[in-house]
Amino acid sequence: MSRIAFLMREALVNLRRNALVVVGAVLAVFISLSLAFGALVLNELVQRNTLTWQDGTHVIAWMKDADQGGLETAGQLSLMDEIQSWDEVETTRYVDKLAAFQEFELLFGERRPELVQEINPNALPTSIRIELTDIDLYRDVVFRLKENSAVLNVTSAGEQIEQLSSLSTVLNVLGLGLAVLLGVSAVILIANTIRMAIYARRDEVSIMKLVGASNWFIRVPFVLEGMIEGILGAGLAVLTVWIASQNLVSVADAIPLLTLDVPTAFFVRWGVLFLVFGALAGIIGSIVGLSRYLREADGSGASVSV
Amino acid sequence: MIRLQDVTKVYEGGTVAARDVNLDIQRGEFVFLVGPSGSGKSTLIRLMLRQEPITRGTIWVAGKDITALPNWKVPYLRRSIGTVFQDFKLLPNKTVAENIAFTLEVLGRPRSVVKPQVEQVLDLVGLDGKADRYPRQLSGGEQQRVSVARAFVNRPPILLADEPTGNLDPATSVGIMKLLDRINRTGTTIVMATHDHAIVDAMQRRVVAVENGAVVRDDATGRYETTMQQVIDAGSTSIPGDQPTGAPPEPSVEAAEKTEESIGSESPNVESEGEQK
Repeated sequence: MSRIAFLMREALVNLRRNALVVVGAVLAVFISLSLAFGALVLNELVQRNTLTWQDGTHVIAWMKDADQGGLETAGQLSLMDEIQSWDEVETTRYVDKLAAFQEFELLFGERRPELVQEINPNALPTSIRIELTDIDLYRDVVFRLKENSAVLNVTSAGEQIEQLSSLSTVLNVLGLGLAVLLGVSAVILIANTIRMAIYARRDEVSIMKLVGASNWFIRVPFVLEGMIEGILGAGLAVLTVWIASQNLVSVADAIPLLTLDVPTAFFVRWGVLFLVFGALAGIIGSIVGLSRYLREADGSGASVSV
Repeated sequence: MIRLQDVTKVYEGGTVAARDVNLDIQRGEFVFLVGPSGSGKSTLIRLMLRQEPITRGTIWVAGKDITALPNWKVPYLRRSIGTVFQDFKLLPNKTVAENIAFTLEVLGRPRSVVKPQVEQVLDLVGLDGKADRYPRQLSGGEQQRVSVARAFVNRPPILLADEPTGNLDPATSVGIMKLLDRINRTGTTIVMATHDHAIVDAMQRRVVAVENGAVVRDDATGRYETTMQQVIDAGSTSIPGDQPTGAPPEPSVEAAEKTEESIGSESPNVESEGEQK
C-alpha cells in the first residue's frame, strides 16, 4: 500500500516539478484532440440536419374540395387508408381545413400577420401528408397520386432530399476521415512529447535502476504522469468544443431550418471516449518512450568508463 | 562476501577490461582497487553490480552467483549493494531527503520507517540541516555525502565506491573517507576503486592493484606507492613518476601491445580523469 501511495505522490511531484514539459504535453493533446472532437461534432451536426430533413413529410397530396369535383371528407379519409396500404408508404396524416389554417398561422403569424387576418380558413385545401419508407421511391408515389381525380396537386420534397442525402454522405465521410486522421496524429504527437520528456530524464532512469528500482517501479510514475497529461488535454479539448458548440446554438437560433444543437448525450458519450483515448495515448506514449532507457540501463551495450 | 573467479570481460571492439581476475573479499573488509585510468577497476565494480554482461567467469555476491541471475532479479541484487560514484548520481529533481528516501521507497518501506531512517543517516553524514535542499544547491563534498547516505540508508551488507573522491579536494576527500571508514566499522564490506595515493596510503587497508584488466598485486595492508616499486622491481621499462602505475605487468611484447590497445581506445577517459587528479 505504501508503495502505491509513494508512486502516486511521485507522479504528482514530478508533474509539478516538470511544469513546462507537462504544459507542452497537455497542450499537444489538447490541440490535436480539440480538432478531432470538433470534426466529430461537425459530422454529427451534418447528420442531424439532414435527418430533420429526412424525417416527416415527404409528399403532400392537396385535395380538391367537394364543390370542386373532389371527395367529401369521408371519401378523402378512405383514400388516405388506401394510400396507407401502399408498400412505399410509411405513415399518412390527414390535415383538415382547421389544421391547415393553424399551420398557416404558425408559418406566417409572426412575419406576415396581415396575411393571416385576410385569409379565410375555408379557402385552404385539405391535404394528406405522406411519409415514405424510402424517400428514393417518391417518383412512383407522386405519379400514382396525380392520376387520382380527387387530388388537386401533389408536392414533394424528393429532389431536394435526394441532393441533401448525397451531400450528407460526402460530408459524413469527410468528417469521419478528418476525425480519424486527427486522432492518429494526436497519438503520435502525444507519444512524441512524452518521449521527449523522458529523454530529458534518462539519467534519472539509470540512477533509479542503480539504486535497485525494478522496471515497473520506475515505469509507474511515468505512466501515471502520461495518463494525467492525456486526461487533462482531452478534458480541455472536450470542454472547449462543448463551449464552442453551446455558443453556436444561440447564433443558429436566428437561422431557420438549421439546428446546431448537439444533444448533451452525444457530448457525454464521446467526451468519455475521448478522455479514455487521451489516457490511453498518455499511457502507451510513456511505456514506449521508457522502454528504450530501461533496456539501456540494464547495461546492454552502454558506453563505459574503465 | 564477494568472490570473483576467472572473471574476463571483453568489450565490443576487443578491449579487454578484465582478464582472469580472481578475488576473494571477506565480510567486513575494506578493499582498495587501485590502478591507472583504463586499468579495469571500474569494470570490476560494474560487473559486481551486473551493469555489464560478463564475458567469462563467475562472480558470487553474498553467496549468490550473480552472473546467472535473471534480469528481473537484478534489482534485488542492487538493493543489497550501496553505490557511490565520482559524479554522485543524485536525482536532480529530488531534495536531499527524497534522494536518500528513494532507496527505501524502492524497498517498499512505509513512510513511518523512511522518515526517521533518513533523519538518522543525514545526521550521520553531517547534513541534518540540509534535508530540503536540492543537489544543485550543495557543494561537491556535500553532494557526495548525500550519495554516501543514500548508499548506506538501508544498511546494505556491501558498499561499492567508484572514485568517490575523484571530484573532491583533498580536505573534503578526507571527510568522505572518514565516513566510509565509519560505515565499514559497522560491518559493511567496502570495495573502493581509486587512484588517490594519499588516501590509500593513509587508510592502511587491503590494496588490490589492477593493470590491463589483471590483478597484479594484493596486499593485506598495502600502500599505493609500493605498486610502483613492484612494477619497477619487475623490470618495467616505463618511466616511473610520470605515470606511476601505467607500465605493463610483464615486459613481454604481447603485453606491451595490449597496453597500447587499451590505452588507445580509452584515451578520452584518461584525459578526463587526468584533470581530476
